[in-house]
Amino acid sequence: MLLARVEGNVVATRKHPSLDGRRLVICQPIGASGEAEGSPQVAIDAHGAGMHQQVVISSDGAAARKAVGDEKSPVRWLVAAVVDEHEPGVRV
Amino acid sequence: MKLGTVIGRVTLSKTVPALVGGRFLIVSPFGREQYERGLDAPISFGKDFTPVVYDALGGGVCQVIGYVEGREAAQPFPEPTPVDAINAALVDEIFYSPWKG
Repeated sequence: MLLARVEGNVVATRKHPSLDGRRLVICQPIGASGEAEGSPQVAIDAHGAGMHQQVVISSDGAAARKAVGDEKSPVRWLVAAVVDEHEPGVRV
Repeated sequence: MKLGTVIGRVTLSKTVPALVGGRFLIVSPFGREQYERGLDAPISFGKDFTPVVYDALGGGVCQVIGYVEGREAAQPFPEPTPVDAINAALVDEIFYSPWKG
């Protein structure tokens, strides 16, 4: 699981059928202080994460396949959670 | 899934049976800079190494694709298949707005 920030989304008409109707968001992995780390990842998003919101993305393919309901899907990354606070009482 | 620009193709003469009929694309992965430049910018190369990606969707050279790396790349095949990266989407549009704050 990686802490990441949502920085955009991707539109694709021709894609694996399991991705039909799924939101694909561009997630930039970030460090604890919010600085970008590495290249962005595109993840499926079932939570409706907003632009520049901090999220936790997971590379659990089995969970992603369950989320799209297709065991033959190549999906790997999904938005597992939307971050409210890094520490109690301090909202991001 | 990562995005990348197709910069070439690989043709195979003999493969394991499961891969027959597929195409293989040489893909230059997008770095942060390429996301900012968008789809219309001239092709530029990122720092990451260049994977060969299995393709059943019909991606062409100069197109931007979304590909998945890892064990999940073999998931669409009916039998265990030696494939590390698969094309999952042909990208039409990117909306990208990097965080400046």
